[in-house]
Amino acid sequence: MALRITGGTVYDPANGVDGSVRDICIEHGEIVAHVSADAPTLDARGMVVMPGGVDIHAHIAGATVNQGRRLLPEEHAADPELRPLGDGRSGTGGTLPSTFTTGYRYAGLGYTTVMEAAVAPIAARHAHAELDDTPIIDAGCFLLMGNNEYLLDRINQGDGAVTQDFAAWLLGAGGGYAIKIVNPGGLAAWKSGQRNVTGIDDPIGSSRVTPRKILETLADAANGLKLPHPVHIHCNNLGRPGNATTTLETMRALAGRRAHYTHLQFHSYGEGWKSRARELIEYVNAHTEVSVDVGQVMFGPATTLTADAPVEYLLHASTGRKWTNIDLELETGCGIVPYSYRDRAAVAALQWAVGLELFLLARDPWRVVLSTDHPNGASFRSYPELIRLLMDRAYRHERLKHVNQTLLGGGALLDGLDREYSLGEIAIITRAGPARLLGLRRKGHLGVGADADVTVYATEADRSRMFATPRYVLKGGTLVVSEGTLVRAPRGRRLHVRPPYDNRVLGGLKRHFDQFATVAFENYPVRSVPDAPVGP
Amino acid sequence: MNATYEHVTCLGCGLSCDDLTVTTESGRIADVQNGCDLGRAWFGSGVVPGEIRSRGESVALEQALVDAAELLGNARRPLVYLAPELSVEAQRAVVAIADRLRAVLDGSTSLAAEYMLAAQRRGRTGATLGEIRRHADLMVFWGVDPTERWPRYVRRVANPESPPSLVAIDIGARRGLPEATIRCSIEPGLEVVALGVLRAAVLGRAPLVPAALAPFTDLAHQMLRARYVVLVHDVESTDPGRDPDRFEALIALAQALNAPTRAALSPLIAGGNRTGAAQVVAWQTGFPMTVDFGSGSPAYRPGDIVRGAGWERELDALLIAGDPGSLPHKLASLLGSVPVVLIGPRTSAASLQATVLVDTAVAGIHESGMAFRMDDVPLPLTTVLASGPPAASEVLSALLEHLQRMR
Repeated sequence: MALRITGGTVYDPANGVDGSVRDICIEHGEIVAHVSADAPTLDARGMVVMPGGVDIHAHIAGATVNQGRRLLPEEHAADPELRPLGDGRSGTGGTLPSTFTTGYRYAGLGYTTVMEAAVAPIAARHAHAELDDTPIIDAGCFLLMGNNEYLLDRINQGDGAVTQDFAAWLLGAGGGYAIKIVNPGGLAAWKSGQRNVTGIDDPIGSSRVTPRKILETLADAANGLKLPHPVHIHCNNLGRPGNATTTLETMRALAGRRAHYTHLQFHSYGEGWKSRARELIEYVNAHTEVSVDVGQVMFGPATTLTADAPVEYLLHASTGRKWTNIDLELETGCGIVPYSYRDRAAVAALQWAVGLELFLLARDPWRVVLSTDHPNGASFRSYPELIRLLMDRAYRHERLKHVNQTLLGGGALLDGLDREYSLGEIAIITRAGPARLLGLRRKGHLGVGADADVTVYATEADRSRMFATPRYVLKGGTLVVSEGTLVRAPRGRRLHVRPPYDNRVLGGLKRHFDQFATVAFENYPVRSVPDAPVGP
Repeated sequence: MNATYEHVTCLGCGLSCDDLTVTTESGRIADVQNGCDLGRAWFGSGVVPGEIRSRGESVALEQALVDAAELLGNARRPLVYLAPELSVEAQRAVVAIADRLRAVLDGSTSLAAEYMLAAQRRGRTGATLGEIRRHADLMVFWGVDPTERWPRYVRRVANPESPPSLVAIDIGARRGLPEATIRCSIEPGLEVVALGVLRAAVLGRAPLVPAALAPFTDLAHQMLRARYVVLVHDVESTDPGRDPDRFEALIALAQALNAPTRAALSPLIAGGNRTGAAQVVAWQTGFPMTVDFGSGSPAYRPGDIVRGAGWERELDALLIAGDPGSLPHKLASLLGSVPVVLIGPRTSAASLQATVLVDTAVAGIHESGMAFRMDDVPLPLTTVLASGPPAASEVLSALLEHLQRMR
């Protein structure tokens, strides 16, 4: 099926196109240079054409997400989703929608690629099964490794040589796309009674392992394996006042090494709850090996849900809200607390401001990309509102007047930030940038050979409305949203890697499983991850 | 043809041990190693009935599916019941069928409705079996002895190198673990009070302790001294003498213990991939059980079938997917009054009146796929016998396709 999208104003920053009127040609699911003159056309005159959105960090599928869904019966009852299309599926929404609804709603927002950011390898099979039931979007899984006891033990034994092979094996076994670290060492500490670590040089238990060593080991593994995405780091001390010090120490520890730091907003606070966004983003601006996603907080309901279980315990203890904690053997854990950010609450307002400061002070949008750490900072459905805050200075100033300003003193936002993101910059932070950081060469751009994932927006002055309801969305060349309505829901592809490893790593692993695990080593790998691995 | 399969997953109970070795000879299971008696019985010979009937006549599968689709597709208020012994793949098809039919979806998860609801109100603290083995130094068996229904539980979770202290709480006639070294007994009426005493002590309050519960103060202190406490309980117990509020009290106690130390609840759940049913229903609908699709989207009706909410009188067709061997009373009482479609393993052996009946393979014996252990760890299922009735996941997916073609 060939198609020509005609007359749209195209934003394709990866190919240097910043708002020029041109046609986009599509054939066999790809962007092509030409289609025949009699190919069907889609009239995009007066509209904005961008690549499909790419979400670098969200929680949409798997064990923790599904535990979270169970905590939200009221939210789900309040947000039913009728069956779309002839053979579509009904579902429920809220901050943690059911799987089919997740796929439909992402596509309805013009997003066509999403990374599930925290999958415990032991439960990878579960995450893949949910993604099988999540239509339209292409999706991948980041595998949690920063508290893996086999890895920690190898580091403790000074046997770092096998860690790269181990990481490669684990990525293949879990059908993963990238290496994820959450609170390095902190989960192992939480599970063994040490509660947590407080800085990157705290030893884990009585071992010689520290968060710093875990960070170095896994950053080197990701880079050594030439993975498409570098190590994806959720730093120690998330959400705690004063944690900016830890975040900067972490970045300095890995100076010169390619690494991605996720939801930086949650890691940018000074002692006594103040913003240190300026310092953090200055470091990021000056160090090209560093990339981040912001993890913006937006006011309204959220569900905090993370492998960083000790943080969730503290949130439960301080708020009295319901709380789920699951300790997952030898690898990680998870904690979940439903939450709400209120603009009248001082800390929530600070978090909101810190996120905006990071965006507005970032010098290179290719390395500072959009996320809300869905559903932790807010649902992915709040992206359009966030885009408006970034693009519309007057609106932002007005909004700022109505938030609790107790803790905003000395922060850049209150001092006055006049920057407005352009449409081209929005295209970078929502598609071209994340795709490049993920190493997805066929995503995030509209050059020849790219996947034909295309979003067409009707131009509106209210950018929130514009980005909330794209007029057309194509996924792999298939029209999935037309006139703002879902019209098709093809299956999405799985994005995963299968790096080679030295077989000699298997013997020690097998012994580790036999001694400690309750799942047979032979049954651990996911046997049928759909679609071919992403090539180099 | 003889063959030996290693690392086979057993769905005989919720432990889903995946270290079994199964040997087959001439199309039958000849030997099962590593498993317990329950597991060996679950595998049996692997020879299962393969009948396909419609209105009393043997028919081809295609005809049975046409008849089933017509019966279900034309019903105004069908009920789809998700029985045990289905793979996740088959469970996914069953929820899709219920969505398609705008049916009421219920299933074996409802047997644990009180626990599930308590966990939805408060959350919960849990751990996988391996985490218990790694860290638990105090295990409390709360009115349950896993020996009979989860025979390998203690062996799999108690670390032989540093064995945990084992405590049994006997509640009326419901005995805790026999080999426990510490034992407390209470009357069923005091169960929730005892949990309150423990929680108050853990929170550092000085509760008024009835004389009958004096030993629980000591137990609380023992919990506070432990590094990692595990509370083991049976979430499907329908003992009429037991207080359903115990679930919330157990959850609250385990949560409270995480301030001074670490603790987890270890819920015991029966086999046949029941845990998978709760997972699949949750991810496809947002609710873990009892969903009414009547309005075109999922509405939550927890516990209605068990409680008999009244609307079941409107039901005019019933699909039971899975092994119909143990249906709840309320459901069984409907069987004579509405037309029934049975699709699952050994349906013809269940002596239920059905308009359409399709015997399928057993997931984990003749059908591969995926299942969840009771601690939510997903495991692969092995096909150890290649010959057998059609796979349940395929039959149910074919039924879904028939229904999609109807409208």
